[in-house]
Amino acid sequence: MSTSPPLRSSLVNESLVFAGQLLTHWRRAPIVPIQSLLFPTFLLITYYLLVGKSIMKITGTDSLYGLVPTCAIAGAFSGALAAGLTLCLERDRGLLSQLWALPVHRASALTGRLLAEATRTLLSTAVITAVGVGFGFRFHGSWLALLLFLLVPILVVLVFAMAVIAIAVRAKDGTTLIWLGLPAITAVFASSGSPPVESLPSWMWPLLQLQPMQPVVDSMRKLAQGSIPLESLLQTLIWTVVMTAIVGPLAVRGYRAAAQAGGARG
Amino acid sequence: MTAVAVLTERIVRDTLRDDLPFAVLAPAGNFVIFNLALRNVIDTGGISYSQYVLPVIIVQVTLLGALTTVDRATRDQQSELGVRLRTLPISTVAPLAARMLYCLFRGGIALLATIAIGYAFGFRMIGGLGYLAAFTILVLTLTLALSVSADAAGVWVAGTSIAREGGSSQILLVPQLLLVMLSTGMAPVESFPDWLHGFVRYQPVSQVTETLRGLASGHVEIGNLTTTLAWCVGLLVVFGALAVRMQRRTQ
Repeated sequence: MSTSPPLRSSLVNESLVFAGQLLTHWRRAPIVPIQSLLFPTFLLITYYLLVGKSIMKITGTDSLYGLVPTCAIAGAFSGALAAGLTLCLERDRGLLSQLWALPVHRASALTGRLLAEATRTLLSTAVITAVGVGFGFRFHGSWLALLLFLLVPILVVLVFAMAVIAIAVRAKDGTTLIWLGLPAITAVFASSGSPPVESLPSWMWPLLQLQPMQPVVDSMRKLAQGSIPLESLLQTLIWTVVMTAIVGPLAVRGYRAAAQAGGARG
Repeated sequence: MTAVAVLTERIVRDTLRDDLPFAVLAPAGNFVIFNLALRNVIDTGGISYSQYVLPVIIVQVTLLGALTTVDRATRDQQSELGVRLRTLPISTVAPLAARMLYCLFRGGIALLATIAIGYAFGFRMIGGLGYLAAFTILVLTLTLALSVSADAAGVWVAGTSIAREGGSSQILLVPQLLLVMLSTGMAPVESFPDWLHGFVRYQPVSQVTETLRGLASGHVEIGNLTTTLAWCVGLLVVFGALAVRMQRRTQ
């Protein structure tokens, strides 16, 4: 029996297969659609109804332009966390090891997963933005700005998903992920502009300016308002590159170890 | 030791690492975040926001605790151990009673944690000891009412595909969010858009938080107290009966 060498394009094809498998799986398990789509959408609606009128009275600006990006990013994060929970189960059931034993490109399981995360995020950002439009959110930028607006959450969630993978494949169960999720989602909300930064204690201001979610939400807000915020976009990019350099190798190494371990039940 | 005591101890040991810490951390975290985020945004009239918001933090933590109860009931019902327990010479409601005792224990811890963090941020029980006792009893009654409803829901969905994926509690995440965020527990009714006033004013979380706020300050409206008690007792009776019935059903 002769074995033919793998095709050069196999990484792309196999990533697509893995991504498709995950998307189907997520669609059927209620936790991922709820965490990535339903919950952030209703969070946007309820939070806007709660603070919208008060913020308008205080600042005279519509808080929606901060809240739509905030809920899009927060939803992408909570979706990635929900997907990470199933990753723990897949490891324990031995599914990761079964996939590892398939005659496919070794990287494709991870690239496929990231591709699925990106697809899910694109979809949920679009839905959340559409709901925002229903409440009076208007996109004032060009088509290029809209493209960037949709790309920023994807860029951020890819890094976050790598962090989730790095932790989930090592953790005993999903509880550990909460310690990643809570500070991250809090940081996103702290960047929303609702509440206005001035209403928070002054010792927090420098922290709020320096944390990585600030330029992310800020760039999306400005893109929606019709400018191209080069500085914020550049900061977002620098954060993304630096964090990828840290969590990327951790995710790859951890995934390999988990896949080669063969699952908790053998 | 009785069966209920043993089963309760089992749950407490089981949750010492993953659920009980959140009974303390969730109220502390939510209180600090909401208080920081909204105290200069929401106009509550005369009283400070920490005094205003504490009741809804308690209700929210109770609701979130009830979500974990849904999952626990589902797990107990469909696990091999759950099947084994139903063959033992113990009362069929013993596992349910143990889960409810655990919920009260968890609720008590969450209440203590909330009041402790509230005191650090300026919340005060102005009414005195009698009102403190009434406050505690009302919170624990609400905890039991919501827990028994959650348990009935959890057992009911056990066996469905949603339950197998471990997502039974997820379905209740959005209703919980709507009730908490769009209530007078978070902000006075004037802060909401006009078309929403009817819902915000009369929905149960608004009613319950208003009673709790009244008890904390020492003035309770009789009409409001009656509504709150009606909700608590109603949930307790209806879902209590359902939950007990579910336990008796054989597979």
